[in-house]
Amino acid sequence: MLTRRSFIACAALLALGSWVVPPAFAQSGDKSAVAFIQTLGNETIATFADKSLSRQQAVTRFKSLLNKGFDVPYIGRWVLGRYWNQASPQEQQEYQRLFEQLVVETYANRFVDYAGETFKITGSAPAGENDSMVATQVVRTNGPPINVEWRVRSRDSSHKIIDVVVEGVSMGVTQRSEFASVIQSNGGRVAGLIDALRQRVGKG
Amino acid sequence: MPASMFRSPIRAAAAATLAACLGGCATQPTTDNAVYDPLEPVNRGVFAVNEAVDKAVIKPVAQGYVFVVPDPVRDSVQSFIRNLLSPLTIANNLLQGDFDGAVQATGRFMTNTILGAGGIADVATQAGNGYVAEDFGQTLAVWGVGDGPYIVLPLLGPSNLRDTTGYVVDTVGDPVRIWGVSNDHEEWLYARTGASGVDRRSRLLDEVDDLRRNSIDMYATVRSLYAQQRAAAIRDQSGTSPQPDFPEYTTDAAKK
Repeated sequence: MLTRRSFIACAALLALGSWVVPPAFAQSGDKSAVAFIQTLGNETIATFADKSLSRQQAVTRFKSLLNKGFDVPYIGRWVLGRYWNQASPQEQQEYQRLFEQLVVETYANRFVDYAGETFKITGSAPAGENDSMVATQVVRTNGPPINVEWRVRSRDSSHKIIDVVVEGVSMGVTQRSEFASVIQSNGGRVAGLIDALRQRVGKG
Repeated sequence: MPASMFRSPIRAAAAATLAACLGGCATQPTTDNAVYDPLEPVNRGVFAVNEAVDKAVIKPVAQGYVFVVPDPVRDSVQSFIRNLLSPLTIANNLLQGDFDGAVQATGRFMTNTILGAGGIADVATQAGNGYVAEDFGQTLAVWGVGDGPYIVLPLLGPSNLRDTTGYVVDTVGDPVRIWGVSNDHEEWLYARTGASGVDRRSRLLDEVDDLRRNSIDMYATVRSLYAQQRAAAIRDQSGTSPQPDFPEYTTDAAKK
C-alpha cells in the first residue's frame, strides 16, 4: 500500500509537522486562584454529598455557592455581548434576573443529584490581563473523566469564576451564540430574548 | 485493490477540499463568535427532521440497547468498533505530522488487538494509553483548511464542508470498508455503522435530554458546541484554547 512516493510525502509532512510546535500549557497561573477553586470545590462536594438536605434546601445552597463562586452578573452581561448596549436599563435588569434563574434551573439539578464525583487540579495558566485558567479533571464513578477549566478573575483579593470550559467547550461562548441567535430571529430585539427567557424559566 | 478505484474519489475530495478552503478562508465572520452558516434555513429544516427521527426511532433504540445490554458488553462493542478504525487514526496522525500520536495509536491498536482479544477489551486505556479520535476532517484543518459553511447532515447531524469532505475521504480510505466491499461482506459494514451509531447515541442520552430541556434555541446551541468541540479536537488539547476577550466592565455598566 505504502508506495515510495507516498512514503516520501509522509516523511516530508512529518518534517514539516515538526516545525509547527504548539505552545505548551505549562506556565503556572496565580496560586491564590488555584486555592480558590480547590476550596470552592471541596465546599461544593461537602454540601451536596449531604443527602439529608431536602431538594429545596439543596437548591438554596446551590444558589449561595453559585453567587459565592461565580460573578453571575458579569457572565450575564458578557453573554449578552454587543446587545447589552442596545437594551434599556429596565431590560438589562430584567434580563439579569432571568439569566440567573436560567443558570440555577440549568445547573442546580446536576449538583443536587451529586453522585460521588471528585475532582483534582491538573494545572493553571494566566489568561488575559488579570485572569487565571485553572484546569481540573472531574472523575466520575461511571464514564471517563472530564476536563474542566475555570476562568477565574481576580479583583483586589477576591476571586470569581467568569467562564467554564468543559472539554474545550466554553459555556459562555455557547450561551452567547445561542442568545445572539434568539435575538437575531426576533428582529434584533433584546426584548425577544427576554420573552423567550421568561417562558423558558417559568416552566421550571 | 487497483489504484484506479481511488483516483476519482480522491480527485472529487480534492476539489471539495479546495471548495472548503475557499469557502472557509474567504469568509470569517467573527461577531458573537458566530459560526459561518449561510445555509441556515436548510440546516434548520434538516435539524428538525433529525430531531424528529431521533425522538421517534434512534433514541428509543439507544435506550433499549442500554436497557438490554449490560455495561461491560457495551464497552466491548465500543472498543471493538474503535479498534477497527485504528488504521485510519494512525494514518491521520501521520498525515497531520503528529508522529507521537501515530506511535500512541499504533501501540493502542497492537495492544488491544493482541491482548484485548481482537479489540473487545480496551487494555490500552487501562495502561494509560487512552483513545484519541483523529479523522481526515481534523487532518485537513491541520493543513490549514478552514471550516467552511456549517452543514447539518441528514441522520449524521452537525458538520461543516471540511468535515463532510473528511468523512467521505475516511469512508473511502477505511481498510475495513475496502475489505468488506471486495469480499462481498457489505452487510458487515452496515452492521458496524448501525452498531456504531446506536453506541454513540446511547452514550449521549442524558446530555441530549439536558440540551433539549435547557435550550432556548437548540439549533444554535448545537451549532456552537460542534464548532468548539471540533476546534478542541483539532488542537488535541496540546495548546490552550483561543480565548475570547473578557473585558472588565466599569461599574456604571448600564451606561457603557
